[in-house]
Amino acid sequence: MTKYLRIIFTIVIVITAIFAGRWVWNDYMHTPWTRDGRIRADIITVAADVSGWVTTLNVKDGQTVKKGELLFSVDNERYKAALEESKANTGSALSSWELAKHKYNRRLALNKQSAISEEDLELTRINKDISKANYDLAKTEQAIAQLNLDRTDVVAPVAGQVINLNLRQGNYIGQGASVFAIVRSDSFYVTGYFEETKIPLIYPNQEAKISLLSGGKQLTGHVTNVGKAIANTNTESNSQLLPQVQQTFNWVRLSQRIPVDIKLEPFSEDVQLSAGMTATIHLAEQSGE
Amino acid sequence: MLQAVVLGGMEFSPLVVYIPIAFMLSALTRVILHRLDWHDKIWKVAWFEISIFICYLALTVYLLNGR
Repeated sequence: MTKYLRIIFTIVIVITAIFAGRWVWNDYMHTPWTRDGRIRADIITVAADVSGWVTTLNVKDGQTVKKGELLFSVDNERYKAALEESKANTGSALSSWELAKHKYNRRLALNKQSAISEEDLELTRINKDISKANYDLAKTEQAIAQLNLDRTDVVAPVAGQVINLNLRQGNYIGQGASVFAIVRSDSFYVTGYFEETKIPLIYPNQEAKISLLSGGKQLTGHVTNVGKAIANTNTESNSQLLPQVQQTFNWVRLSQRIPVDIKLEPFSEDVQLSAGMTATIHLAEQSGE
Repeated sequence: MLQAVVLGGMEFSPLVVYIPIAFMLSALTRVILHRLDWHDKIWKVAWFEISIFICYLALTVYLLNGR
């Protein structure tokens, strides 16, 4: 009897261990969590819409700016001159149009008296229309010149913090060249890179708990979207546009990582977040399973 | 609730803490069984010891609730 008892006792412990081991395995491998999470934020790159020397620089690296605040100014002498030129052109075009209108009205009266030919009248009418079009063109060019002049003052497109400012007063900047970035205020969110095997367990609006590598209180949030595409690193095209397919083993394949975006719930101001920080993310498990 | 073990800027799974805890509990069980002289009452001691280690590990993961 004692012999059977010792066998049964051991077998009970072994069976318990099998279930316990299976639970641990499932907990690690089949629940939606990842240690590969990153804090992210909306980054807006700032570029001037016109070229020129930077005459004034109003911001410092790391400075918090409000939307519409003047960041820097580009030398505007050339754009002022261009505007004056456009204004003069507009004035000239307006006068030409008025002259053409005057000629046309006069010829209209003469035509009624049959003093000029129809062709002569038509010619003046077309000249009047050309002058009108030239005036419209000059007005548009003036508006563009005004826009260029206005855009020599570069203002903050959003409220946020200036990042990576290497621009200095006196630098020459090209049109459209990014000179620094702004991290938009309160735009922090988290992207978790989940194994594709866990993606069926993830759904929109799922609750998330986020622990930062830096420690501190857990943040909460909810899933906003699951990424619908990632790059395929296994295939590239060569110069003849033929696919270069990497050889793989069929025995062992690594699951891909799919980005899942998580919107953060409001958190206390003493939590220091920087885009790029590492986070561990645990998603709530699906209810009803 | 232990989420991660951070050591010198490196993040480790809490398993690096849980496994030694489970191991120590297993060792403690082994010592106790020896002291009480109950080792003879167990069939296949090696199976028992591995199983008890896994049970302790699962219990630690469950109680400390971290991955």
